[in-house]
Amino acid sequence: MRIVVCVKQVPGTNQVYLDPETRSIVREARHAVLNPYDTFAVAWAARLGSQHGWETLALSMGIPAVEKLLRDSLCRGIDRAVLLTDRLFAGADTWATANTLAMAVRKLGGADLVLCGKMAIDGDTAQTGPELAECLGYAVVTDVTDIKEVSRSQVQVSRHTESGVQTLLVRLPAVLTVAKDSCPTRMPSIADLARGASRPLECWSAANLGADPDRIGQRGSPTRVVCTETPPMKKQSRRLEGTLEQQAASLECIIREIVS
Amino acid sequence: MPQDLIRPMTSDQADYLRDESRLIGQAEWIAFPETEQQLREILASCRRSGRPVTIQGARTGIAAAAVPAGGVVLSLTRLNRVRGMKQNADGRYVLCAESGVILSRLRKQIEDRHFAVSDWDEPSRQIFEQFRRDRTQIFTPDPTEATASLGGMVACNASGARSYRYGPVRRHIQGLRVILADGQTLDLQRGREKAAGRTLNLTTEQGGQLRIDLPTYALPQVKSAAGYYAADDMDAVDLFIGSDGTLGVVSQIELVLQPLPDQIWGVTCFFGEEEQAWQFTEQVRAAGETGLLALEYFDRQALALLARYKAGHPAFARLELPQRPFGAAIYCELQGEREDQLLEAVARLGRQMEHAGASPEDSWVARTAFDRDQLLFFRHAAPECVNLEIDRNRQREPSLTKLGTDMSVPNDKLPAVMRLYREDLKASGLPYAIWGHIGDNHVHVNILPRTAGEYETGKTLYRSWARQIVAWDGSVSAEHGIGKLKAEYLALMFGEQSLSEMKRVKNACDPGFLLGRGNLFAPPEGRKTE
Repeated sequence: MRIVVCVKQVPGTNQVYLDPETRSIVREARHAVLNPYDTFAVAWAARLGSQHGWETLALSMGIPAVEKLLRDSLCRGIDRAVLLTDRLFAGADTWATANTLAMAVRKLGGADLVLCGKMAIDGDTAQTGPELAECLGYAVVTDVTDIKEVSRSQVQVSRHTESGVQTLLVRLPAVLTVAKDSCPTRMPSIADLARGASRPLECWSAANLGADPDRIGQRGSPTRVVCTETPPMKKQSRRLEGTLEQQAASLECIIREIVS
Repeated sequence: MPQDLIRPMTSDQADYLRDESRLIGQAEWIAFPETEQQLREILASCRRSGRPVTIQGARTGIAAAAVPAGGVVLSLTRLNRVRGMKQNADGRYVLCAESGVILSRLRKQIEDRHFAVSDWDEPSRQIFEQFRRDRTQIFTPDPTEATASLGGMVACNASGARSYRYGPVRRHIQGLRVILADGQTLDLQRGREKAAGRTLNLTTEQGGQLRIDLPTYALPQVKSAAGYYAADDMDAVDLFIGSDGTLGVVSQIELVLQPLPDQIWGVTCFFGEEEQAWQFTEQVRAAGETGLLALEYFDRQALALLARYKAGHPAFARLELPQRPFGAAIYCELQGEREDQLLEAVARLGRQMEHAGASPEDSWVARTAFDRDQLLFFRHAAPECVNLEIDRNRQREPSLTKLGTDMSVPNDKLPAVMRLYREDLKASGLPYAIWGHIGDNHVHVNILPRTAGEYETGKTLYRSWARQIVAWDGSVSAEHGIGKLKAEYLALMFGEQSLSEMKRVKNACDPGFLLGRGNLFAPPEGRKTE
């Protein structure tokens, strides 16, 4: 049985810079972090892997510096890691990304469970997980808040909906995208760091995957980014004057304006 | 009196009568100067009318130095601009900031490289352009309360976890502008205004002459924020740093910045027994680990308190705790330029754990921002839990306050002082939790009295520890300052002769004894507690 956990490097939340020339996000290694939702996917993979004795593998597509994040996953209890890195992968939208990740999962011989964070905080699309399921022909459940009763053929999961908690029994193989705080995270110990350093980490290129260049990277992406802009800061301030009662009345008017 | 600058206190200004020590003072007047000129006018006016003046920053101090003892509250909260930037002889960036600037805000400005530079002079703006392009800088002092004001930090020579590596605020101050009690101004630069032996001759900007005969005592060779600094040929700035708002009003501070290390990792090591943690500290110190920024301690009681609050208080639910109870924990912070250096340093810490009888499996290594936030939450949760515990006890007995010590001892007395605290506390039956800066032999013992009787027992213990620590050549205050609450321990530490030498310094700077009345020397008249 095998769990594949997909992770992504994103810019630190408060440190997003746009390249003034290309208008794309500057992916600088120093300011990069693991997508926060993926932290919980890694925690789930390590927990389920150690509970059930399943093999765990971390998978990412990105620049060579992403190796550092994968190494960190290995220190958190993941058995092995694969980084998909190649200039041909660059500029991929969610569809081309899902396609590439699916090729890697197939090259591995498939997975029983694929875990992703519910979305990445840079693109905010929440599309890659479900698209990966589509590419692989696996079942998918998004925004999972709990995973329990795992067997070799099925898994019971919960997700919050507007009307309450939905519990689903999902046949494996399946893709689950997990919510924030859905699993307690665990910091690696000093001993884990030494273990993580000795675990296998491979880099695969487009050629390794046998990928058709027309189905990966920018060429394989139906999405066209016409323009990316930093929205201008809109700030309106009005000074309330008069007695407390008059100020309260003015404030009431403003609230009515906004909600009407 | 400049009526528009000094106004009567109103009932909605009661917050200005207290600080984080929760002692409540009294005052008739309050002033919020916005410029140094206004500050001079206020002080000159108070001098003429003989009104005592209590200087306040952000009122985050816990030794009650900012609690007024009658007269005028001088709040520096509106003196809060960063005025410029320069580079010192070592090529370090130096920020010129007014006293009321809040540390957390300054940190954000430094991190974002964003200052309101429109009022800055041309040389400052040029240096700022270079600063914007240069590697990220930090102001290293890190007191737990980041909402402290810079003036308050200077007044008590504040420290924090990283003072293990970087030392207290004093080490990061290049210059001060000080307004004396008569409104005259001193512009002091480290290396320029210096004492000859133990005599300091200063000239004010207004041309006044000041001769100060510095105290003759030798300061203890431990981390200390107790009493006036004194040394042969010392810099004049050092006299005003740590003077608890008694010698003058600091209006502007020149802070020296450092380049931010490329990598900072936090490692929390857990131990079955407290003795193992003490031994680990001594080993790590002796090994001279160069990248070590901080060594912080949590005893068995502190860890148990955290576990109790995690289980019973939603605000602490996300607190990460070890799977089983431990006797103690040490938080080590490491800095380095390369990841491989840090990996080696962490491995060395693992071996030191084994030497001390612990296992490197029982540790957490925080290398990512997410994990570092978790550890910061863990470290700051201990004081928060203690405050909640005290608030709960006060509902039954409103007169209670926390009894928190701030004493330090020389390296060779670390196990002895830790044993002293633990044995006395166990024998007394008082609830307590100990944490703090074990790398500097400076832990905070927090006694959590439930009754007035337990409070008195705690006070008696505190006094007996202060006597022992003075006998061991330690300090009765390592970072909080003496303020009003620890005046009796200052007398114990220095003795009558040295106290009279401090009063001589006070008299030279503030002959009317108007500034910070009740700080260091005598309890203020008419003070009352909650």
